[in-house]
Amino acid sequence: MKKLLSAFSLLLASTAALAQGARDFKFNEVFVSQPQSDSIQQASYVDEYGQRSSWIEIENTSYSTHNIRNCFITINPAVLDESMPAPEREKLMSMIPAGDPRTNVGPKQRITFFADGNTNRGSLHLNFSLPANKAFTLYLYDGNAVDLIDSVRVEPVSAGSSWARKNGAEWQEADAASVTPGSPNQVSDNNKIKEFKEKDPYGISMTLMCMGVVFFCLVLLFVFFHIFGWAMNRAAKLARVRAIRAVHEQAVKVVEMAKQGTTETKGVDMETYAAVIGLALHEYFGGTHDLESGVLTINQNNHTSWADKSHELRIVPQVHQTTEVK
Amino acid sequence: MLLANASTFDFIGQKLLDFFSYTGFANVEWANIIMILVGAFFIWLAIKKDFEPLLLIPIGLGIILGNIPFKDAGLEIGLYEDNSVLNIFYQGVKLGWYPPLVFLGIGAMTDFSALIANPKLMLIGAAAQFGIFAAYMAALAFGFEPNQAAGIAIIGGADGPTAIFLSSKLSPNLMGAIAVCAYSYMALVPVIQPGIMKLLTTKEQRKIKMKPSRQVSQTEKMLFPVVGLLITTFIVPSGLPLLGMLFFGNLLKESTKTTRLAKTAGSALNDIVVMLLGLTVGCSTQASEFISWDTIFIFAVGACAFIVATASGVCFVHIMNLFLPKGEKINPLIGNAGVSAVPMAARISQNEGLKADPHNYLLMHAMGPNVAGVIGSAVAAGVLLGFLS
Repeated sequence: MKKLLSAFSLLLASTAALAQGARDFKFNEVFVSQPQSDSIQQASYVDEYGQRSSWIEIENTSYSTHNIRNCFITINPAVLDESMPAPEREKLMSMIPAGDPRTNVGPKQRITFFADGNTNRGSLHLNFSLPANKAFTLYLYDGNAVDLIDSVRVEPVSAGSSWARKNGAEWQEADAASVTPGSPNQVSDNNKIKEFKEKDPYGISMTLMCMGVVFFCLVLLFVFFHIFGWAMNRAAKLARVRAIRAVHEQAVKVVEMAKQGTTETKGVDMETYAAVIGLALHEYFGGTHDLESGVLTINQNNHTSWADKSHELRIVPQVHQTTEVK
Repeated sequence: MLLANASTFDFIGQKLLDFFSYTGFANVEWANIIMILVGAFFIWLAIKKDFEPLLLIPIGLGIILGNIPFKDAGLEIGLYEDNSVLNIFYQGVKLGWYPPLVFLGIGAMTDFSALIANPKLMLIGAAAQFGIFAAYMAALAFGFEPNQAAGIAIIGGADGPTAIFLSSKLSPNLMGAIAVCAYSYMALVPVIQPGIMKLLTTKEQRKIKMKPSRQVSQTEKMLFPVVGLLITTFIVPSGLPLLGMLFFGNLLKESTKTTRLAKTAGSALNDIVVMLLGLTVGCSTQASEFISWDTIFIFAVGACAFIVATASGVCFVHIMNLFLPKGEKINPLIGNAGVSAVPMAARISQNEGLKADPHNYLLMHAMGPNVAGVIGSAVAAGVLLGFLS
């Protein structure tokens, strides 16, 4: 059962890890080539063959490296039909082949695919083209061709412009000067430091905020363990009271028997009497202990072997037959 | 024959000259000599004065090692040269994975019973963190950028691994100076703290006898790392590497089922990491990087941070005593232990307590704020990282 649970946990963890890796890929920018505006597109991105075509940029939004190999990209909405079997879906999509180190995308890095319908040109070329002056939807599917990772509706934009994701989620047209294949869509500097420098030049706000958080954390711990400690103390006290009561009951029994002057033990052996009297005296003189209930010490155990010498011997003694010497 | 001999001597002479140009004597600068003397001073302090030898000996030798002058000839020997052995060791500092491993060891060695038995002592650990933010304000006043000021300020937490962790993230160019400063002042806790403690307490206050702590059950001890981890990391996820490893180490110890792992984490693993950490931190103080006005400011701010941290811990106990009933009062001498120099600060409380009253044993009481200080400084580092990274 334990092995089964461990295997299941391991499987669950590995599945989660795989899903997490693929799920971090998001469409970042899409450029649709428009043949009638060649002059504008002179500044556009060129592939390994010096050709300018439509391209799709995908970003690894996580802080770890993931490989996009074996994922699928398509603009065919037929893949949304969930009843379609995976092999059929694969035929409608362009698979990103394995074996190219460029498909390994670093943290917060981007990979650009050319939508030129010519996969013979390399692993970064897709088997479809993007329609110009027409809205369409791009779909990114996981390696099983079933799980949709990301989709984006691309609106028609003016010649030379791209359709780009801004501020994390919102998509809008980026003019020709702002088209950024392979680069972030907007330059963001770490303005947190700048902001603190401008608005908190003496560090007073920082001190108040940080000390507040530190105190908050430790006060929460204090409250929790104060209450828990109180509860534990109370539980220990109750256990002690129960133990004392049990001892008291036994003691009353013993006293009654002593008054009657009977030697009958009424099912309680003499060792128990001694233990009860000893424990009662111990409690009476203030020897109560929070961890030791005392109940165990007076439970009868006919098979006690605490003083059995045979338990201390490492070699069981053998009985030797002696020969009489006359 | 004579010609051949002359050319042989020329050859040997040229090669010897060439060899000389590689030696430390040919490349030495005054700054190297100064740093080597600093390293030797650290070793002397550790051996002769017994000031934290486990830290100061690796750091001291590291300083000497890092300041041996050599000709930059691509021999892959220097700390800052890619693929050199020292550079490989240095990755643990640079990428910040030594500090969490040290925290794992601290967690595996720390007994939080004193804190669990008397949870109000946690507040002292929180109050002592004011030293960090006083140093932050001082560093800003010296003209440091907020991220640099935060790296310097964490010295006030009296926690070497935390200082290295935060400075490697926020101000890597100052990390060497910050680390050496933090460890130096930690070693100097017995010199810095007693005077401030005496100054802020009366003779009567120093004699306050605290009630013995209650016995803590194993359930509470096991629960503490789990609850502590959940509370602190839910509030400050940026402190996860430090807090996570601290509580993980403690759970290994308290679970009673992983004693072997706890023993390894607290002894062999911790020793290995401390050795490499100390050595590489020392090595990183190359004269060209280390000897600057910034370093002097860092040491000045660090000293202020330690003083303020100690004072704020002691003063906070005075404030707490105003609200506590008679018989429940806290001896203000344990206020200094709110800084996270474990267990040096708690030992100072004990020693000062014994000086005031030879029958007043404060060590176990002081361990409460001391371990709370470890949590507090890690939380403070996490908050600073969250705000500024």
